[in-house]
This record gives sequence, C-alpha cells and structure tokens, in this order.
Amino acid sequence: MIKKEVTVKNRAGLHTRPAAALVKNAARFKSNFFITKNNMRINGKSIIGVMTLAAAQGTVLTLEFDGEDEEEAARAIVQLFEDGFGEE
Amino acid sequence: MKLFRYDRIQVMGNTEIRYLSELSLEERKATFARILAFDIPCFIITSGNKCDPALIELATEKNVQVFQTPFETTKATYFIVDYLDDIFSPQTTIHGAFVDVYGIGLLFTGRSGIGKSEIALDLVERGHRLVADDVVIVVRKGEGILMGSGTKLIQHSMEIRGLGMLDVRSMFGVRSIRFQKRVEVIVHLEDWHSNEDYTRVGLEEEDTRDIMGVEIPFVRLPIFPGKNVTVISETIALNYLLKHYGFDASKAMASRLEEAIKRNESLEDTDRAIGWFEHDFE
Repeated sequence: MIKKEVTVKNRAGLHTRPAAALVKNAARFKSNFFITKNNMRINGKSIIGVMTLAAAQGTVLTLEFDGEDEEEAARAIVQLFEDGFGEE
Repeated sequence: MKLFRYDRIQVMGNTEIRYLSELSLEERKATFARILAFDIPCFIITSGNKCDPALIELATEKNVQVFQTPFETTKATYFIVDYLDDIFSPQTTIHGAFVDVYGIGLLFTGRSGIGKSEIALDLVERGHRLVADDVVIVVRKGEGILMGSGTKLIQHSMEIRGLGMLDVRSMFGVRSIRFQKRVEVIVHLEDWHSNEDYTRVGLEEEDTRDIMGVEIPFVRLPIFPGKNVTVISETIALNYLLKHYGFDASKAMASRLEEAIKRNESLEDTDRAIGWFEHDFE
C-alpha cells in the first residue's frame, strides 16, 4: 500500500469539476483508492464521497492506494493535485 | 404570365369564383385553356363554391384533377399545407426501439442483440407505451421536431429472441401502445468497457446526436449483468422532465458544494442531514 499527502492547490478547492476529474482518473486503475481528510475516510472512486470532503484550497488530504497498479495510480493522482486540476 | 407559379396547387376561393362568374362562357373557356396550357398539379375550389362545368371539361381533357371543399380558403389552405408538410417531410429509418416513458420519447439504440426489445418489453410491462420496435420511422416536422412512428406492416409487433414474434397490442392491451411520439432522448446501449469515460456528475455539456439536422440529447448507457436498465430508463425520462421544469440535480449539488468549500467546513462539523431530532431513535 502507498500513502501520500497532498494539498489542494487550486483556489476554488475540490469542487464539482475537479471531483469529477479525480474519480474519472481513479476509475482507470484497478487499485483501491481512499482519501482521508481529518477523520473522514472516503472511497476516491465515488463522486459523492469526494464531494462530501468539500476540500477548500490549502486542505491537506491523505491518499491511500492499494493494488497491483498502486504505483501508477499514485503517480497519476498526485500529479492531478500538483497541477491543481488544471485550474489556478 | 411569367410570374405564374404553375407548379403549385391552384386554390380558387370566393374572389376567383366571383371574377369568373362575371365572364361569359367563351371568356371562361379561354381563361381555363390559358391556365391549363401549364402543367397544373390540381385545382381546389373552396368555400363550397360550385365548380364550373367548363373547367371540369377542359381539366378532364388535360387529366388534371379538380377538388371541391366546403371549408373556406384560409382553413382549406391550412389543412392542405399541414398535410403536404407531413407528406414531404424529410424522413429516415432508425434501427432501435421507441417507447413513451412518462410522456418522454426515449429512442433506444445499440448493436443488434444488446437487448433493446427486451427493455421495451419491460417498460411496457411497467405501464409505458411502445411506439415501435426494430424499425422506427423518424420524420422531421418543421424546425427542431422529430416524430417517430412504426410501420403499417409491423405495427406493434416485436421479436424477442427465443420466443419469436409477439403482438404487444393484443398481449398488453391498447393502453400499452401509441402510434407516434416526439423523439426526445436517444438512449444508446453499449457493452460496458472499464476504460471508457462515462458521465459521472452530469455537469458536462449535454451530449447530442444529429438526426436530419435536429440535435437530440444523447445518453450513453453502459450495460452489464445486474443493472436494471428499465429503472434507469425511467429515471432518464424523469430527470429530463425535471430539467424541463427547471431543476437540474447536478447543478444544485454543485452549488451546495461550492458554498460548503467557501465556508471551509472542517470535517468534524460536516452536518449529518438530520438537523436535531430529540429522542428520535427511529
């Protein structure tokens, strides 16, 4: 299992469009993917789950990847956060 | 005479008839002969006016038909235009199943054998109305309206693999069918591929398909065992209705989320949707 910490960089936070981009990307991988914010742990492949986080700019999230393609999954998802989901 | 549109139906109303009534028989014959020198589709005499026997004689010679109607010119023209518009409308044939679901015309498409007829049958069983199965004739009415119907030969017959031909009207009764319906949403059934990109939120710009120049909302519906496509189809129809009445579930959710992000709610105080119910242990 891989654990990564990421920060929400884009100004608008993890709103609907980034949330959709996140689950769509996560769905491409076989690995299980969970996101933890404070004490709430949600499935990263569930759009409702990701939206429930309501993560604003600056929020620190813990990402967990577990499965045969966890390395690739972690790289792709972390990259998304790094790029601020293509937003400012 | 140069401007005379001889390729059009000649409608003769009160004015024309009154004009003709003031001419002598010889003059009328000459007038009819001049008109009939052109290739006229037909004459229609409106407002219950009597037809001049001289016109009938000459028209018969030229093999041109003369009709009479009790309707006044405005009304008659309206009926004729409506009829001709229907007859000459662009038309195409689509392979699919067409069902009225809660008043919304859902056109199911997808490869042969994916189960379009089975879904149509299931919807009929749940009280929806079959328009056509397998061969759907789609006609463009005016700008932006497509009407779908079945064929005279097939009517409401459908083929279910393993059973053969069924007649939905005799089997489920007259309330299970209708003859035509506006095409409102295309539901495209396809085999599930895990690497395909399916709609998750529904905020993306609506996908459409062009049928004879009319853009029709297009829903790609991946199917797999255990998925109740019938219920999902009903939901597609209901969601279309809701949007039509001004409520968009994805937009409503998106704006609630944006509000929450702005307030920067920490997870500890993520509200459960219960408010405060004292001693409510149900």
